[in-house]
Amino acid sequence: MNKRMIFTLAGTAALASVIGISRPTTVEARIKLATLPDKEAVVVRFDHPNQVLVEEERTISLQKGVNTVDFSWAGTNIDKGSIVFRPVDVNSKVEILSTSYPPGEAALTWSISSPDARSEKFRLSYLMANIQRETDYRAIVSNDEKTLTFRHYFKIRNWSGGTFDSADFITRDGKTFEKGLDQGEAKRVLVNKWDKVNLNKEYVYDLTRQYEGKVMTDYVLKNTKEMGLGAIPLEYGKVRIYQDDGKGTTAFTGEDWGQFTAVGDDMRLNIGIAQDIKVEFKKMVNDVENRRGNVYDTNEVDEYEIKNFKDSEVELTLVLRVQGEWEMQKDSEGYTSFERVDNETIKFKVKAPAKGAPVKLKFHYKRLNNW
Amino acid sequence: MRWPIPALLLSLLALTAPLQAKEELVTLPKRDTVQLTIYNSVDLTLVRETRELTFKKGNNRLQFSWANTLIDPTSVEFNALTNPDKIEVLDTSYPAESNQMLIWTISSEEAVSAKVEISYFTSGISWGAEYHGMLSGDERSMKLTAYVSVSNRSGEEYENATVRLVVGSINLVEEIAALGGGGRQERMKEAYGKMREADAAENRKKDIVKEGLSEYYIYTVEGQETIPNQWSKRLESFVQEGVPLRTVYTWDARKYGAQLVKLLVFKNDEAHKLGREPLPAGIVRLYRDAGQGRLGFVGQVATNYIPKNDEVKVNAGADPEVQLKSKRLSFKKENLTFGWSGNRQYLAGWDTVEGFELELKNFRKRDVDFEVNVVLGGDFDFDSETASSKIDFQTQRFSLNLKAGENRKVAYTVRTRNGSNVRNK
Repeated sequence: MNKRMIFTLAGTAALASVIGISRPTTVEARIKLATLPDKEAVVVRFDHPNQVLVEEERTISLQKGVNTVDFSWAGTNIDKGSIVFRPVDVNSKVEILSTSYPPGEAALTWSISSPDARSEKFRLSYLMANIQRETDYRAIVSNDEKTLTFRHYFKIRNWSGGTFDSADFITRDGKTFEKGLDQGEAKRVLVNKWDKVNLNKEYVYDLTRQYEGKVMTDYVLKNTKEMGLGAIPLEYGKVRIYQDDGKGTTAFTGEDWGQFTAVGDDMRLNIGIAQDIKVEFKKMVNDVENRRGNVYDTNEVDEYEIKNFKDSEVELTLVLRVQGEWEMQKDSEGYTSFERVDNETIKFKVKAPAKGAPVKLKFHYKRLNNW
Repeated sequence: MRWPIPALLLSLLALTAPLQAKEELVTLPKRDTVQLTIYNSVDLTLVRETRELTFKKGNNRLQFSWANTLIDPTSVEFNALTNPDKIEVLDTSYPAESNQMLIWTISSEEAVSAKVEISYFTSGISWGAEYHGMLSGDERSMKLTAYVSVSNRSGEEYENATVRLVVGSINLVEEIAALGGGGRQERMKEAYGKMREADAAENRKKDIVKEGLSEYYIYTVEGQETIPNQWSKRLESFVQEGVPLRTVYTWDARKYGAQLVKLLVFKNDEAHKLGREPLPAGIVRLYRDAGQGRLGFVGQVATNYIPKNDEVKVNAGADPEVQLKSKRLSFKKENLTFGWSGNRQYLAGWDTVEGFELELKNFRKRDVDFEVNVVLGGDFDFDSETASSKIDFQTQRFSLNLKAGENRKVAYTVRTRNGSNVRNK
């Protein structure tokens, strides 16, 4: 039985005869004769992005006529207005007549009418604050960095003031696990595991991200069935990445925050800096032209010299930004493809040969109508 | 007869005693009926109570006191319901030693028994509405349950009262709480037991009858209610199954910030199996059927008064499986015009031409509706191959439907005239 949340069943007649007082004198000192129906089938649901819904069932013995059932939750964080109470059997003849709220108490009483003396199972639902949730992942990357094993964990911490002796916890994607959870206690559970997930490794030089001037190593997971995932949207959470070292153990190679990734989308994880790939930037031309009053254009050539000191060729993605109105010039060269992502952003792919042989990306553009 | 504490004391003073007399004989006629008309737009309740009184021929003195309650003394009225032609209020005095008492001098043509009504305003009793919507599995309909809750912090307990709730906004020039002046005495009462007694008298749900009156609606709770001081009580107002519901993913930065939010929309009209009366302001909470009668929480909103035929939108927050991204794909300046200042040429006017792309993604397994509101400024031309509608002078709206799993791109361009290029209109 939960210590904090007291669900009491009080009968008027019984109260009067047992206690021998027909009227308690103050509300603070409400005298109650309480039967304590056990919590059954407790479910804690995390499907709302920032609310936790708790459901429990209680079997209550009712007398014929009107019964008063008292529910109190001193010391727990139940949202009073969210409480929904109804018989489990939708065709039940039992009716909730009214709900009353005593002053200064975390409590309420239901007035319930029953056509006969019976045991009725009720379901009680409410929002409960301060049950924290967290998603995290563990990725074990194969030695050749082509595939990984992806483990999805769900962690809950209970600061709600309530205690769950045994409850079904249901994650956003419908995974259920049964656990007990005390006040202040945290539990982390493996909810999904996917093997042989395909992995793309990308080297990225990106002026919109941190580590300016350095090349980052990203793993890109496509959340699709073809790539070994795609069963559920992946929640935001920390991804710790380990790599099979080929000797039967693994080495930690980095971690990143995985953004929420809907089915069909990419999760991009930065595992660190690629120290063997260097990019050197030089501005080769920076001329003003086509001056009209206080308005002018500029002609600019940016050069990126890329050296790959690895033993094999790599493809490097360069994400560059130019503000305002501008046009790329046709004599830009040194790339295998480019994409104007938006007005300010352009993405080049450059093949960098092995062993430090330099390759140059020439990015020639004009900024128009400056003042 | 139980002495009410804190009490509305209505005592018939032994007649001839002048005010300064030290000895008084009082009788305490009991309250026969009481009716509460509770307003929710202001802190005001009209109380009408009836009592059976016996008057002797000549002058009678009737004392009415309301220690420790929140009654407005200027509002207290006496009215004889029977024998009104024989009974007359000669004067009303407010004794200096108590600001929570008055004495009526009442003349009676003969010794009669009469039913009298005493009415007054009090503050401290309030009511509000609450709504629970249970969504079907496909989120296309819901069972809507409306509740009304009455809270009593007036200091007085009204036993077995007829309760009427007024929906609508009335005008008051002074607050009743300020006129009451007695201060809010937080006292507890013999509440619990009596409440149970009152509950035990009823063994089915009460009806709440709704009627229109001028600009207001009056909800009358069937039967009688006892709401002890400091308690609140919630009753079901109506239940409606199968209320159709629409889900609209909405982008409206002015209302919801820079995010796509999921709005659940229904109307208080006949097509939605509602519309019998306006819905008073209150919190609407939506739950969905998570299977086997279990619930999932969807969202909640505090709504204002919803007139008949008006719409309710419940914000269920962001849904990560339905996405909208906006990108500016191009930016150009055109139609540069120059002026001269002496012998110096300067830029006087120009247009900016911007190309935008909205990328909408529906990862859900069902169709969804979008409403994207694009807010523009200045002297602009808006152009798109996708149909849109003008909402106000600066807002264009795309209304779109995406199939399960569909991605779609919507392009539009905006030309904005600046400086001397801005047109006179």
